[in-house]
Amino acid sequence: MNAESRKKALQYFFEKVVGPLGFKFTPDTELKDFLLEQEVILESKHGIPFCPCQPIRHDRERDMQIVCPCIPFHREHFDAIKRCWCGLFVHKDVIDPDSLPQLPPKEVGLE
Amino acid sequence: MSDNFIRAINADEVAPGGMKAVELDGNEIVVCNCGGTYYAVQRRCGHMNAPLDMGTLDGTYLTCAMHCAQFDVTTGEALSGPVPPALGHESPPPMMVEYLKNIDMLMKDVRTESIRTYATKLEAGWVQIAL
Repeated sequence: MNAESRKKALQYFFEKVVGPLGFKFTPDTELKDFLLEQEVILESKHGIPFCPCQPIRHDRERDMQIVCPCIPFHREHFDAIKRCWCGLFVHKDVIDPDSLPQLPPKEVGLE
Repeated sequence: MSDNFIRAINADEVAPGGMKAVELDGNEIVVCNCGGTYYAVQRRCGHMNAPLDMGTLDGTYLTCAMHCAQFDVTTGEALSGPVPPALGHESPPPMMVEYLKNIDMLMKDVRTESIRTYATKLEAGWVQIAL
């Protein structure tokens, strides 16, 4: 299977999900490309495109919450930091993704 | 590719975003309407031969209903293999565990191959396919 074709397909499917949630792909195209590639690798290994920056714990209930795009499961946190954990998605109004701090839930008043 | 086009299906029979299976000269084919552009691919999934017209079409991406293998209908390229099944929270009975282990062992060697595509053209309201 061709990684480039799969990346294109994942981008097509993800855009449909994250758009209505108020998110878009990061404008950092190099990062986007890298993260999508990691997801393609994870998908070829596990059959599911997991978030590349989260550990797979082999606990299905928990693991399903890190299937990209995982925004619906961590909405409050991501809304507070205007990005998802790995930075593949940012709020639609974000122009400079590097300016966004990557804060843990505790620091944004969650948990 | 052959230019021997055969009348396959009336274009009105496949709504945009829809698919319909046809049989032409013994070939099982799925006609896909991708926003008014028609594509034709083999009906059998490149993973485990399930009928692809039972799946879903999103843009030009076809997802098989059986194990969710995905294909691009414009090229026939296999984009992803099967998605692992969800067995729920309860452990299956011991006999079932053995059975699932065997299935798992067999499935490991099953590859997802790309599917065959056929040239199409729209003429006088009919989708024609070149075999």
